[in-house]
Parts: sequence; structure tokens; C-alpha cells
Amino acid sequence: MVNQETVQDALRVVIDPDLRRDIVSLGFVQNLKVHANRVAFTLKLTTPACPVKDELRKQAEDAVRAIPGVEAVEVDLTAEVRPNPGAIGRAMLPGVKNIIPVASGKGGVGKSTVSANLAVALRQAGADVGLLDADVYGPSIPMIMGATERPMPSGGKIQPVVSHGVPVISSGFFVQPGQAVVWRGPMLAKMVEQLLAGVNWGELDYLVIDLPPGTGDVQLTLCQRIPLTGAVIVTTPQPVAVNIAEKAVAMFNQLKTPVLGVIENMSYWESTKTGEREFIFGAGGADHISQKWDFPVLGKVPLATTVRETSDGGRPIVLDEPESPAAVAFTECAQNLAAQVSIHNLKSEADDLVKITF
Amino acid sequence: MSAPESPRPIEIGRANEHDVKIRWKDGAEAVYPARLLRLECPCANCVDELTGRKLIQEGVIAEDVHPAGIDPVGRYAIQIYWSDGHHTGIYTWERLYDLMQKL
Repeated sequence: MVNQETVQDALRVVIDPDLRRDIVSLGFVQNLKVHANRVAFTLKLTTPACPVKDELRKQAEDAVRAIPGVEAVEVDLTAEVRPNPGAIGRAMLPGVKNIIPVASGKGGVGKSTVSANLAVALRQAGADVGLLDADVYGPSIPMIMGATERPMPSGGKIQPVVSHGVPVISSGFFVQPGQAVVWRGPMLAKMVEQLLAGVNWGELDYLVIDLPPGTGDVQLTLCQRIPLTGAVIVTTPQPVAVNIAEKAVAMFNQLKTPVLGVIENMSYWESTKTGEREFIFGAGGADHISQKWDFPVLGKVPLATTVRETSDGGRPIVLDEPESPAAVAFTECAQNLAAQVSIHNLKSEADDLVKITF
Repeated sequence: MSAPESPRPIEIGRANEHDVKIRWKDGAEAVYPARLLRLECPCANCVDELTGRKLIQEGVIAEDVHPAGIDPVGRYAIQIYWSDGHHTGIYTWERLYDLMQKL
């Protein structure tokens, strides 16, 4: 006899490789219907960008099919991103489930290009994603995202500019072209707060924040003002970038903000003619950081002229050349990031919450 | 994270009308008298940033000073809004944990 229980028991052998728990206890199995030996259910994952969603679906399907008597199995896939437990009920950004700053130590490692491609890749996977350009000194997100309109006020707040399906706000929107931001700390802190709380971000699964390089006022304000799910570190392979990236890691550790992983940008160059790889900036930078500080490498993105061209052209490479090696790498980074967010949120649900009742 | 396990509170609440009670993850529990917490304010107005010398003058702090509200600061500290209007001190988990020895 096939019934709900036999199906649930069969599904308990399917383990989510990232969360390391079975899909039944994780609550992924929903709308389970058993009727005349036909089984249908929905797998509700924790992110639409799940890197192993097809595997999970197949394993679940196979597990149920193996039950004696089952004649047909139908599996639907959906996803609902879980909020960072610390973000629940916070007044500043009530609709934003996960806030993910993208940081580097050294400038010029391609942090903004990485941020933009992460945001667009997560959006392409079906998530609701916002992109905040907090690089007040060198805001480049408007150009990379092709966000040329001015944001308009609406209901006492600012309405983000939507570009490639991603709501975007940049400090660059509020500075006259040709002017520089020459500000002291308190003004920077005020600006960061405005960009967070003064903007209609709406309901978001992920808010990606492009930070300025280094470990300064903007980073500090951000870590102090809002509970961040965790940071992404961007570096290039060479020691001069890696050493400074480690300072950013140390800063996040000091501020008790988890680091979700490291992305190695400009990792290598691959000849389109011979397929040979050249390691222009050396190799092993991200691996070194990852091993030393115990967080994963989310991906390695090759150098490519097309990455530069698409960034300058306002259309991140994952949009128009999804098959290119760089775009494939960016998409992989986004999937691994989404997986890390799920892992951290699950862990935080268990032990991270400080209850303040005063 | 490979950083050593640092103290982490589970609950920060009231011990009575004015005093703060903190329950720690390692099982420790302590009541922090309100005025003592106020006198331990770590902000730059109350403690010299370079020498660590206390600048706060005990005589001018009211006997019945107490927190009016407590806000979390990121994932590592709290900010206390005091009945006398002071609110610039950021009390980190480490600092609060170490303070238990002074109680």
C-alpha cells in the first residue's frame, strides 16, 4: 500500500548536499498527494538559484519510484528564500530577507562587475534581487547596469531604478557628474543609512551591496546598523590583492559578520584559439584565503575582453553571453552564494539569535 | 569561521525595573546594575580613546539612571539609550562578558 507515510519515509534518504539534512526534515516536501498509486508533490527549495536542484528532483523522483506499487511520480519545483533570522522584524529594511555586502580589500579587483553579475544571475534564476552601490568614492554600478535614469521620489522615499529586472540604487545618482565625494565619516554613515532606509526596496530575497574597497566608514556603518546575512570577498589571485583582502576578512570577523565565501576574479586567461590557460596574476589566491579562514571559494572567473566590454556597455555578461566561460563562472558563483546563504540561515535559526526584551 | 569561539548572549532583558539581565550561550547568567553599566560606558566621551582613562564623572551620574531602551548593533554589540539622554556607547559582547567579573 502506498500512502503518505511510505512516501515520506522513502524521501528521507534524499539529502540536500549543502544543508546536509534530508529533504523531509528540512520541510522541502509539500502538497504531497497519493492517489491510486500515483504520487505528486512539490519540492520547495530554499533558493531558486539552488546549484543542485535538478539532482534533488531526480533523486526524489527515483526514491519514490522505487517504492513497490508506485505507478507514477510527479515532482514540482518551487523555491522560497528563507530570511536571515536576524533580519526578521527589523524596522530599517522590513521586506529584505538577506543583505549581502560584496567587499574587497584592494581596489580594482572587479568588485562592481562581480556584484552586478551576481545580482543579475540571481535574478535570472528567479529570485527577487536588489543592488545597492555603496561605493561612494567610485560608483560604477549605474554604468555597468546601464541604469541611466534618475531615481524618482515616491511616498517620502526614493524609488530605485529597475535595470535588467534588478532595482538599483547608487550613491552616484545623487552626486553631480564630474563632482567627487569628499566627505568625512559621519556624512558617509548618513549616506549609507539613507541608501538603505530611504529607498523603497520592496520585497527582496537578496540585497547585494557593492562596497567601496577597504575597511572604512561605509563598511563599519553597514555592519553596525543592520544584521547582514554575510559578506562576499572578491580578490584577484596575486598576493598584493590577497593580503589586503584578508584585512577585509579580519574586519568582518571583528564585527561578527560571517563571510559566505570568496570569489577569485581575473583568475586566468584562456586563449580562444588554443584553449591554453595563462595565469596572468598568479594562482591560488582564493584557495589560500579559503583554507586559512575556513570559508568556501564560490568560484573563479576568468579574464575576458567580453567581461570588460559588457560592463562598460551596461549589460552584465550573464545577460547576453550566458554560455561564455566568464558568464558560466559568474552564474556558478551566484548559485554557490545562494546555497551558502541557505546554509548560514539554517545555522542561525538554530543558534545565532540574541533576544533583546528590555 | 576559524576565529576562537567568543562569548555570545542568548537573551538580554530586565532583572527588575532598572537593571539588565543577560543570559549567555555558555550558561552564564548575570544581573548588571543599571548605574554600573552607565559608569562603564565605553564611548569616547566617557573613556579617553588613547589612554583608556575614565573621563566620566561619577558624581554627575544620577543614582537612578537606567536604560530607556536597548538596540542591537549588528551582530556583535548593543547600544543603550539611557534615561539621562546618553546613547553613544557600544557595549560589545566581549566587554559585557568581561564586566561580569566586576559585578
